[in-house]
Amino acid sequence: MNLFAMFDVSGSALTAERERAEVVASNMANADTTRTAKGGPYQRQEVVFGSTPVGGSTFAERLASAADGSVQGVQVVKVVGDPTAPIRRFDPSHPDADAQGYVSYPAINPVQEMVDLMGASRSYQLNVSAMQSTKQMIQQSLEILT
Amino acid sequence: MTNTIQGLPSFDPGEFQQKVSGTSTSSSDSSSGFWDTLKDTLNQVQHVQNEADQKVTDLVTGKGEDIHSAMAAVEKADLSFQLVMQVRNKIVQAYQQVSQIQF
Repeated sequence: MNLFAMFDVSGSALTAERERAEVVASNMANADTTRTAKGGPYQRQEVVFGSTPVGGSTFAERLASAADGSVQGVQVVKVVGDPTAPIRRFDPSHPDADAQGYVSYPAINPVQEMVDLMGASRSYQLNVSAMQSTKQMIQQSLEILT
Repeated sequence: MTNTIQGLPSFDPGEFQQKVSGTSTSSSDSSSGFWDTLKDTLNQVQHVQNEADQKVTDLVTGKGEDIHSAMAAVEKADLSFQLVMQVRNKIVQAYQQVSQIQF
């Protein structure tokens, strides 16, 4: 059942893209958040993708996949904060305004987030297409027997 | 195993299983080799289907987090079952052809 490894590779990409879309959605939702549990405005988050061995539920299969190294899945290694300084807007009546009357807003550009979301969505689509191709390949090989 | 049909290579189920599963059957129980292989395959398909079932149950009960992994599991189960059905069709076809031999 080696052809099923392609399902696992595409599946890992789907999981990674979903997580990326989640992070983007979080950024968009918190574009105007001025207070967080850590204190200060919300910090824009970014995902870091890393390759990972996939395939199989048993240890031997995973070891073989890791040793082979040619077929790699993808996973979200970590979510990092964007170190860009927050945007300061003058709004003295705001409860989170500082002594000078400025409020710190997260440095989030909705257009950039939207483009990122489109990228995640398109990548998801791409990997679903790869999965469908895999399925068609398996079905075509089954038709040899008929 | 006597080869009744001349001109065809003899079919040894034990050897077949050895080639398919990569395991050597030390005991020369050549009559059950093929059926063991078939049973193993069926068990594997059953396992894949149980996995798919579990994933879908997890999804609808809110435990699973990925829709696509459930879909992929269902697809794997479907394809495995299609493979088993094709093999079964071929076996039945072969049996019917043999049963229609008239002298």
